[in-house]
Amino acid sequence: MQKKFEQILMPVATKLANNVVLRSLRDGFLIITPLIIVTSIFLLIGNFPIPGWADFWTGILGPQWTEWFSAVSDSVFSFTGLLACFGISYAYGKNRGLRAVHASAVAIVSFLIMTPTTVEVGKKTVGAVQTIYLGPNGIFLGLFTALVSVELFRFAIKRNWTIKMPDGVPPAVSESFDALLPSGFVILAFFLVRIIFSLTDFGTAYNFIYTMLQAPLKNVGNSLPSVLLYNFLASLLWCFGINGPTITNSVWSPIFFVLTQDNLKAFQSGHALPHIYTQQFIDIFTTYGGGGSTLSLLIVMLFVCRSKRIKELGKLAIVPGIFGINEPLIFGLPVVLNPIIAIPFIIVPVVNTLISGIVFSLHWIPYTNGVMLPWTTPPLISGWLSTGSWLASLLQLFELVLGVLIYYPFVKMLDKQYLNEEAAAEEAEDVDIDFSNI
Amino acid sequence: MKVIILLDQIQAGLGGKEKASTELGGKKLAMGAADTIDKTLKKKDSSIMATFFCGTEFYEANKDIVQGKITRMCQKMQPDVLLVGPTYDYSDFARMACEVGYAVESNSEIPVVAMVAQEKNADIISEYKDKLNIVKMPKKGGTGLSDSIDRGIELCAKKVKKEDTTEFVTKYCF
Repeated sequence: MQKKFEQILMPVATKLANNVVLRSLRDGFLIITPLIIVTSIFLLIGNFPIPGWADFWTGILGPQWTEWFSAVSDSVFSFTGLLACFGISYAYGKNRGLRAVHASAVAIVSFLIMTPTTVEVGKKTVGAVQTIYLGPNGIFLGLFTALVSVELFRFAIKRNWTIKMPDGVPPAVSESFDALLPSGFVILAFFLVRIIFSLTDFGTAYNFIYTMLQAPLKNVGNSLPSVLLYNFLASLLWCFGINGPTITNSVWSPIFFVLTQDNLKAFQSGHALPHIYTQQFIDIFTTYGGGGSTLSLLIVMLFVCRSKRIKELGKLAIVPGIFGINEPLIFGLPVVLNPIIAIPFIIVPVVNTLISGIVFSLHWIPYTNGVMLPWTTPPLISGWLSTGSWLASLLQLFELVLGVLIYYPFVKMLDKQYLNEEAAAEEAEDVDIDFSNI
Repeated sequence: MKVIILLDQIQAGLGGKEKASTELGGKKLAMGAADTIDKTLKKKDSSIMATFFCGTEFYEANKDIVQGKITRMCQKMQPDVLLVGPTYDYSDFARMACEVGYAVESNSEIPVVAMVAQEKNADIISEYKDKLNIVKMPKKGGTGLSDSIDRGIELCAKKVKKEDTTEFVTKYCF
């Protein structure tokens, strides 16, 4: 059974893991993630979910204090499309063996070429760039511009369309000239693309990509079946030793990123939060203590199991587990290639997803605000911070306990097996090997 | 086939990186990751006779002592083969596995098989690939773990039976 699953899953997982485009998308979003986390903290301080918080600080610092914080959060959240273009082009350029800085610079210029640069103000047309094109709505345009511009840049480099400088010219100057013709080729291509779109009903590449791709994909991604499939595959792959989220994020991360940024912008502007299935929903309301929701598993190991090995590992792994680190458990219990634990390891995140999805759909809890918390934020605190509602913490607690009940019979089975092994070893002879006198 | 396996503290189920000072020890059991390997071995009338474990920091500070003690304990317990790893891409563990594996194979008659991932371990692999059989395996979270375990066990069996391993090593080892 396990072998059959592996035969089906392995080739797909290997292809996804090794696909340079998907890998670059994942790596590209990771490049800008630290910026999002840091600026999220500023946003959270400016909008802390405690009644009277804003009034309290206004009384001390004056009415302008929120602007100080929003200036920092705006610096990232209003430019996520541009930043996505930067991160993805850098990662893709690097993975394609190009000078990543040059690839990234060309991609950003290409993105700006595609961006409308005039705004109608009354009857006048003035030169300006609206952040709507550079923010969350421009993420897919940024993504495609990054991939296409780097690919065109690489096409030119591979054909040696470069100006060779004589020996003795400093490397910085020579590298700059190397990039001259390929950059010109990319810029010319995007110049033509902009003209072509201006002749269509869409008017801009932004309108075309947003209407034809970003909006439909958002609708598909922002659904319970999509997130159920995401969590099922992520957990299933872990059971075979494969880092599941690395594979699933290759496909889903652009969509979840856009959905999260939409909520974040709405939260920042004080508008209604539009989406349920954000990255926060997945990180904070479907797994606790890492992949497989192993904090529930750890609780069973600590309080129910009698095998020395399991109990000892439970004690050692509980503190890291609270902060979302489950490496000792994945390899030490082990979870990897362990058919007994595989069943609840897959079921628990799926059940959590289903329950959370229903609870949020019924509006029992406010939607997540898009503020990206550090991934080590413990459950209960993370639920409250991400929604501003203590009911979210209650949901997390409920799912944690439900996870304990689901894990219980399977962990007991493993416990029994280990207890038998320990008893047999103790009966036969001393289990411990003494290295002190050898 | 009776196998002794050497693991670091993470793979032995004794904690994370913070437990790297775990002293050299062992149990006549399949601990942690060894349990997975034991299940595969049992299908072939073989088993893990003991798990040796050592924290990577402890090893780094006591290299000669650990290598000597493991070699002597192997000679005393007489396994058919010593399996060092799977180390994934944990570089400290990979170094410990290769150095201890080489010490045991050089100073005793016990055959050794190592299992190491290429990622983060290029230096140690290039240093030991001609001195030790190192089966290729995926990095942590990579694809192909189950196949690599099968290959590690197959090479152990071949070495125990003193079969020609040239073709196998060319195909599946560094």
